[in-house]
Amino acid sequence: MNTIQELLEGYKKKATQPSTVAGDFLDRIESTNPKFNAYLEVLKEKVIARAKELDGCAGQMENLPLYGIPIAIKDNILVKGWSATAGSKILEGYRSPYTATTVERLEAAGAIVIGKTNCDEFAMGSSNESSAYGVVKNPWDETRVPGGSSGGSAAAVAANLCLGALGTDTGGSIRQPASLCGIVGMKPSYGRVSRFGVVAYASSLDQVGPFGNCVWDNARLLEVMAGFDPRDATTSQSTVGSYTGRLNSKTLNATTIGVARDWLEGVDPEVLKSFEAALATMKAAGAKIVDVAIPHARYGLSTYYILAPSEASSNLARYDGVHYGHRAKGVDSVESLYSRSRGEGFGKEVKLRIMLGTYALSAGYFDAFYTRANQVRALLKKDFEDGFQKCDTIAVPTSPCTAFRIGEKVDDPITMYLSDVFTLPVNLAGLPGISIPCGLDDKKLPIGLQLIGRSYDEASLFSIAHQFEKLRGHFPRAGAK
Amino acid sequence: MLTRQEVLKIAQLARLSLTDAEVAEYQKRLGRVIEYMKDLDSLSLPKGAFVRHVPLDAPRFREDEARQWPDREAIVANAPLAEENQFLLPTVLEKET
Repeated sequence: MNTIQELLEGYKKKATQPSTVAGDFLDRIESTNPKFNAYLEVLKEKVIARAKELDGCAGQMENLPLYGIPIAIKDNILVKGWSATAGSKILEGYRSPYTATTVERLEAAGAIVIGKTNCDEFAMGSSNESSAYGVVKNPWDETRVPGGSSGGSAAAVAANLCLGALGTDTGGSIRQPASLCGIVGMKPSYGRVSRFGVVAYASSLDQVGPFGNCVWDNARLLEVMAGFDPRDATTSQSTVGSYTGRLNSKTLNATTIGVARDWLEGVDPEVLKSFEAALATMKAAGAKIVDVAIPHARYGLSTYYILAPSEASSNLARYDGVHYGHRAKGVDSVESLYSRSRGEGFGKEVKLRIMLGTYALSAGYFDAFYTRANQVRALLKKDFEDGFQKCDTIAVPTSPCTAFRIGEKVDDPITMYLSDVFTLPVNLAGLPGISIPCGLDDKKLPIGLQLIGRSYDEASLFSIAHQFEKLRGHFPRAGAK
Repeated sequence: MLTRQEVLKIAQLARLSLTDAEVAEYQKRLGRVIEYMKDLDSLSLPKGAFVRHVPLDAPRFREDEARQWPDREAIVANAPLAEENQFLLPTVLEKET
């Protein structure tokens, strides 16, 4: 049983039970995780106890939409009693004192938290190489990165070490690793999902979202966890409804797909070929393809790397060695308590982004950088609004390239940041985006198609993605190229 | 490329202690990113266009009610140093001379 949908069917037919399934996944994690480094913590006893508890709830299955489903949680999302390192040495040994709303909702729906997954430190990265706990290996090719920052979650799903996973996406951290690992990943609209219990990186951009092996699985996870949360004042009160129940609500012959040609510069030819083939497939099924203009998308990278680090420099000020996290020894002043604890606890990329944000917010530079970037953000949002006057979804490749080699992009920050050139603008505009596998390159590495939707219209986005998935047909799993 | 003094000033504002090797590295890396960001300078921008990122229907206010945290021990357990269920900090105030 390779998908959540199939396992739920299996439970209904009494073909298996949660403790058997959890045991199988735990065995696989024990034997395979040392190779991939996808999980940072798996509390076996907790998982088994939870699965046994669910064995006794089989009669309530109808009311538990994720009954007995093993889910991995990125280690920057809190689950009571579990670690929450956010991939950082500064939070080594931290035990979550409460559970994030998203996880609370998954558990209330019958899910089993099977482990906490590796990620780039504080979700800052596109390759998982900035984790203090070592790089995650891509299950398609262990010499390559899984993408980031939610690389552990993506690799865990791709390597069949769980059936679904949660990640966070601030600039592409769900969609890009989903693309590089050949699975489905969705970043919901800003405000669709609660951020309560999520380690903050850039609060105006962060969103929690699901990974799965197919669109249905993804839709099920999101419909369970989305919606208003009184503990997060930025969540929307608008109704969520059933996403899985509306997967066929939009047919391709009633869908207009926008393509922003001027945004497609610098794409690997193999990726571009696969992207064009995906468009042709949808066109042949009746979709209308139109050109749209997103002229400010090319400024997305600069805009993002001013705004996100600015917010991070403020959010990460809480790591001061006082209440939790690493504290430097032998300090003799408040100043040295702060700066030495932070200097010792944070890694290279996190320090870079904190300093970048500090610089952008400092006297003399605030208007030239922060104010200006906010103005560009407004123009970018308007570009998308104008684009959606002409189409139902905007299609771009998720990533300009397939999984790159470990170490290949670490020397130049801009080269690394360009991995997210098609995902960053979507966060800046607060829109939903889904990455779905659309092909393999000549090295047999997966390529992702990104579909971007109107704000709060995840239902249409899932539906269009589902129609494409049906046309595309079976997609190979990692290790079965 | 930033100067050594510029990096040290930013690090001081950010409360980050850096080794000499790190300072040299950030002169290059930070300088490279800041230089790239200047591509926004070429844009002619309207004034005062700010994005409202919070959904329009999100509640802006809630009742200001005090609530007791149910598990004080779990919070203090994460402290670098604690005593009698309270955070313990190093002595940092200098003695009066």
